[in-house]
Amino acid sequence: MNIDYAKELPVIEGNPNLIDIDNVIVKPIEEKANRKFFLALAVSGTALLIGVVCVAVTLFYGIGVWGNNQPVGWGFGIVNFVFWVGIGHAGTLISAILFLLRQKWRTGIARFAEAMTIFAVICAALFPVLHTGRPWLAGYLFPYPNQHGLWVNFTSPLIWDVFAVSTYFTVSLVFWYVGLIPDFAILRDRTEQKLKKTIYSILSLGWRHSHRQWQHYEKAYMLLAGFATPLVLSVHTIVSFDFAVSIIPGWHTTIFPPYFVAGAIFSGFAMVVTVLIFVRRVFHLEHIITLNHLEKMNKVIIATGLMVGYAYGMEFFTAWYSGVPAETFVFVNRAMGPYAWAYWIMISCNVLIPQLFWFKKIRRSILPMFIIVILVNVGMWFERFVIVVTSLSRDFLPSSWGYFKPTIFDLGILLGSFGLFFTLVIIFTKFLPVVSISEIKAVVEGSQPVHHQPTDGGTHAI
Amino acid sequence: MSDTKNDNLDNKKPEPNYWKSFNDLYNDPNFLTSTHDEFKEETKEDFDPNKLSGLSRRKFIALLGASAALAGAGCSNYRDKGEIIPYNKKPEEIILGEPNFYASTCTSCANACGILIRTREGRPVKIDGNPDHPVNQGKICSKGHASILNLYNPERYKEPQKNRGGYFNAISWEKANNAILNELKKGEKEIALITGKIFSPTTKKLLEEFKAKYPTTKIYSFEMFDEAARNNAWRKSAGGNFFPLIKWDEAKIIVTLEGDFLGTEGHTVENQRLYAKGRDVNNINSFNRLYAIEGNMSITGMNADYRLRLNPAAQAEFVQLLISEVGGSKSINRNDFVRKYKINSKTLELLIKDLKANKGKAIVYAGNVLPEDVHIAVNHLNQVLGGNTLYRTDAAEVEQLPFSNKDELNGLISAINNNAIGAVIHIDTNPVYHFPKEYNYENILRKAPLVVTLTEVETETASLSNYILPLNHNYESWGDSQTRTGVVSLVQPVIAPLFNTRQKEAILLAWINQDAKKYSNDIYLNYLKKNWESNFFTSTGSGDFNNFWLTSLHDGIVFTNETAPSNGGNASASSGEMKFFDNKGMTLLIQEHPNLGDGSYANNGWMMELPHPVSKVTWDNYAAISLNTSKKLDVEIEDLIEVKVKNRTLELPVFIQPGIADDLVVIESGFGRTNAGTVGTGNGFDVNRLISVYDAGLSKFIYTGVQVRKTSGTYKLATTQEHHTFDEGYTKDQHKKRGIIREGTVNEYKNNPKFLKESKGIEQTSLYNLHAETRFSDVKWGMAIDLNKCLGCGECTVACNAENNVPVVGKDQVIKGREMHWLRIDRYYSGSPDEPNVSAQPMLCQHCDHAPCENVCPVAATTHSIDGLNQMVYNRCVGTRYCSNNCPFKVRRFNFYNFRSYFKDDYQMSDVFSLVFNPEVTVRSRGVMEKCTFCIQRIMKAREDAIQEGRAITGSEVKTACQEACVTGAITFGNIKDKESEVGQWKEHDLTYYVLEELNVRPNISYVAKLRNTHPEEV
Repeated sequence: MNIDYAKELPVIEGNPNLIDIDNVIVKPIEEKANRKFFLALAVSGTALLIGVVCVAVTLFYGIGVWGNNQPVGWGFGIVNFVFWVGIGHAGTLISAILFLLRQKWRTGIARFAEAMTIFAVICAALFPVLHTGRPWLAGYLFPYPNQHGLWVNFTSPLIWDVFAVSTYFTVSLVFWYVGLIPDFAILRDRTEQKLKKTIYSILSLGWRHSHRQWQHYEKAYMLLAGFATPLVLSVHTIVSFDFAVSIIPGWHTTIFPPYFVAGAIFSGFAMVVTVLIFVRRVFHLEHIITLNHLEKMNKVIIATGLMVGYAYGMEFFTAWYSGVPAETFVFVNRAMGPYAWAYWIMISCNVLIPQLFWFKKIRRSILPMFIIVILVNVGMWFERFVIVVTSLSRDFLPSSWGYFKPTIFDLGILLGSFGLFFTLVIIFTKFLPVVSISEIKAVVEGSQPVHHQPTDGGTHAI
Repeated sequence: MSDTKNDNLDNKKPEPNYWKSFNDLYNDPNFLTSTHDEFKEETKEDFDPNKLSGLSRRKFIALLGASAALAGAGCSNYRDKGEIIPYNKKPEEIILGEPNFYASTCTSCANACGILIRTREGRPVKIDGNPDHPVNQGKICSKGHASILNLYNPERYKEPQKNRGGYFNAISWEKANNAILNELKKGEKEIALITGKIFSPTTKKLLEEFKAKYPTTKIYSFEMFDEAARNNAWRKSAGGNFFPLIKWDEAKIIVTLEGDFLGTEGHTVENQRLYAKGRDVNNINSFNRLYAIEGNMSITGMNADYRLRLNPAAQAEFVQLLISEVGGSKSINRNDFVRKYKINSKTLELLIKDLKANKGKAIVYAGNVLPEDVHIAVNHLNQVLGGNTLYRTDAAEVEQLPFSNKDELNGLISAINNNAIGAVIHIDTNPVYHFPKEYNYENILRKAPLVVTLTEVETETASLSNYILPLNHNYESWGDSQTRTGVVSLVQPVIAPLFNTRQKEAILLAWINQDAKKYSNDIYLNYLKKNWESNFFTSTGSGDFNNFWLTSLHDGIVFTNETAPSNGGNASASSGEMKFFDNKGMTLLIQEHPNLGDGSYANNGWMMELPHPVSKVTWDNYAAISLNTSKKLDVEIEDLIEVKVKNRTLELPVFIQPGIADDLVVIESGFGRTNAGTVGTGNGFDVNRLISVYDAGLSKFIYTGVQVRKTSGTYKLATTQEHHTFDEGYTKDQHKKRGIIREGTVNEYKNNPKFLKESKGIEQTSLYNLHAETRFSDVKWGMAIDLNKCLGCGECTVACNAENNVPVVGKDQVIKGREMHWLRIDRYYSGSPDEPNVSAQPMLCQHCDHAPCENVCPVAATTHSIDGLNQMVYNRCVGTRYCSNNCPFKVRRFNFYNFRSYFKDDYQMSDVFSLVFNPEVTVRSRGVMEKCTFCIQRIMKAREDAIQEGRAITGSEVKTACQEACVTGAITFGNIKDKESEVGQWKEHDLTYYVLEELNVRPNISYVAKLRNTHPEEV
């Protein structure tokens, strides 16, 4: 094969016209919703409704309807929280870090990944409130002035969580919105309905595609990307502090921050791939979200998967090396105790199965890729389950050991969180461009100024 | 004013001259200037209208109106908490917010301990022992603590009931009494009065009067568990009346044969106290040594230094073996015995050696379940071991009314069957449940023309009666009791009857008077006083009877100068030939449940949920078998099995209990009640249906040749401790590896008192200076728990429940691991499943100096006080449960539901039930974390008193509820900065250690390591 490495492979396949790009991306927004849309919405809406019912029951009767007990004070609530925060990470990584690193291929997937970040953080943010015994007093978690002179406890990692997650959500939302402004303007220009026009006009903040506007826009976007970048690392670091700061064996581990961040990116990419496989097919975006994109993401998955696997191994080493009997016990217990099934699901889904991505063929074929990324999602959910539940179920005093069994409401709320996530994703695909129109135009072949002659003889129009 | 003096002084002032002060009156010039300058310079000079707020008057009023409207609307959700009515006539004795204590007597069991009832605003809230009582000495058992809950049982009968074909209607007392009197007056057929144990001399007198009034009356006294075998044996072998009391405190070697003297048998409170005197590490040379030879794993066995697993049917042979070994006749071959029952020959050898070496200081105690001939042999063995030295002569038991023997009861049954009975009257007893099922009592009862049941609550018997007459609770009644020579105690009511109930003696009196209309509330009080005046006053007192009576009521007890009767002479060897066990097939042993007793406490949620001291199972009984037996039967824990004795069967779940003899099934009593109210009905399995009178086994409680087979299905048991932790390889002995339980032997300690501190394996270095803590005040609270004295019985847990309003959560929640006990007793096994060593450890909030729960709470709802308490602020708690997760001791408890509402449909929310709550302690609701507070309400009370008396709080005046309850005095509490105090001394003790010391959380509860009194050569 003669590949010319001097020339970048086109990010967008088929070299489409700019107007074609507009048309293909805007199509689902402008067309009337079809049966597929409603079918998908019905499925995710049902899941959401089940979750709503389970949440209502929880609020009415109390946390007792969940499986949590003494000693396992945290169960599905916190597992789901960490899982969803993790899912969110891919979005910011793709949109901010890859932007700063000038990875042009990010343009095809950045918008979607960012949207997923926001939806995942919404899903995540519900759980800390829901899992409290008295959610109507969750306001106490915020530092606000009051006549009691009572302040929150700044030494508690849960307070750090409140700040980390709310900051993350705010910055992601702003970043996402700023990226949407030029696209809103395109939608405004294309639509003829008055209501839509008014809404898009307001949302596009008077964007006129002028050079001056572009100049400011690019600056702002880059600054926001710089702003969002540390958050990718900080949010899951702080989430990991919930565990690392405690003294419970299996939680009290210094490896947690990097391990959690790697895991978050791992699971986030897996989720992005899962959804994109459908989106590119359903909306005929195969030339914009190409197999190359998916392959690159799969490479990130295997890289982060290896990091996570390393962390698993290192945890065992540390536990043994520390010589602390309780610490050693927890890790032996993970692999051999009553929750060994969860542990081995985690190991096989997160460490063993992603190794298949070493094969290019698997990296580039849809079905195996889909199965693997789904398993990675399962594995990463179980990773959090293993960390939260097994460590708590058998800690220092053997007399207080217990076993956590989820109830139907735990499962219902987990299902409901997926329902909420996919409902938001489906609504998003209907009302907003799933791919950034303006950014895609900037990476169409020939759209960027070049300082050398194209090697293929200059057949492409500039 | 016409005062001339005034006119002369000041004629300028207008009339009338109102003066405000003498300065004013006498017209002081300074005063005049000062009144002139009423608005002093500061006010005048600084006052500048322009500097005032720009708020206009209109604006101000508008804002005022708006805020008033907002406040009105915003606060409209204020819920009316009900009327608060002040006393318009203050009752004598009651000071609002101050508790009153009244002396009385507990009637929960035949031990009749003296009690002090704490009342608040006329409402009893807590029961504790009467410190002046010579027998129980300020302590009571867990049933006594829990008896307060029976008073406030919302399902007590509130009116007399008449049976109208299967369902009951309330009727008036007069109508009920008239109907009953009509039957009684007929006087042709027998009137059967069935009662439990009578320990009141006045009640006994009353029963005699009843009998005199109605000559056809026969009185039957029956309890499921009695000491009949022991006492009968004593009469036969020594000729005395009752088996004598034992000087447990003076015994060096205590050998129990299937006898749980620390758990269920005899006066447990006294036994425990006397036993613990021989477990004082500060008096190491007086340590006793406890051998338990038993098939069941009892509380006594749990505390034994040596334990031999022996089938209860083999005890007869074992006693003969001991007699032959100690007596030197060697008529029984020891090796044969060891081989036959596969017991540990080394332990047996040590036992025999000890018995021989400690003649006069060794006592052998046989359990109530053992047959009479074994008791006779044991009496003889004790004689061989040193005669009567360990039998008490200072006091003896007193019996008011002897128990009916088997023939009398059989006579009752045949009388009912032959229609020879006119009326059956059950006085606070439940024979339908307790009588052997072959009596068929529940069906033959229909043949009696009149069945009356006097009871507080629903029972199996009550539901088959024609009339149910509701009884007062003990705390609403008058009475007296005498169970020991030399002391009589009084029962006095501390609250007016909550419902339209009467006490049983008053009902009998009304029947004796034969006038249903003539009844007054003090009818029995007068009777009681009259009896006391004629009997106890004349024998003990002098002067005014009224003074004597009030003093006796105040003290709760009266000492009489009666002496213990001679308890017979030397116990002779048994004459009869003993049948030895053939050791084939399975043996069934029926034992009294340590919490529920014979089942009378089945309707008490606190006792139901109190974990079994050994197995930690709540809410159920089970068939306890050994691991080997389970393998033989091919059953797992919670599998259902059928136990068959002749034609009597019972299906129940298996529980694999370490330490139980092989081929033995142990089932405990008190469960399987069918009519025991909301709490008691339908828990566990009724073992009474395996008991037979006609074809008794070795005794009423031991049956050999029992068939056991596995049936299908499983049954979930609710334990508070995982029961799988015994046999898994890597989980074994974690409590030892982690230094949670640290133990030694008496000899190790004697040789080197610092052996514990010097023992390796647990790192105790700290980066911090231990004495650098400056943030605490002069008083810092701490606790020391002496594991040598802790027997693991769980009395402290019940006392804590009562003091701190801990809710009952129900079986399903215990299965989920959500029990709410602030104080739990951890039980650990080590060694092999066959011969385990058991360690018990009370575990409660450790009030760590560096409490890991505090720094993780996001809302600062758990904080540290200056006097070293880890505090919980319920109002601030949002319920993240992070504190509980981060607690290495897992002693925090979370209200997963509003358990009061969750448990049995608001059972604990009813108006009557709510009266049991201690008003000093917040009742917690859903979603809030809670935990031991070191009884902060008691600390605050002591502090208030100290402030009022103008002195510093010392620390020794505070006693926590668990400390107060602990019979053996294992718990000490106080100011640990006071090195002279008892708790301060313990902190410095060589045997003191902290649990999980290496975490550097610095608990304020220290434990005194348990010393096992084993033989030095063994190690």
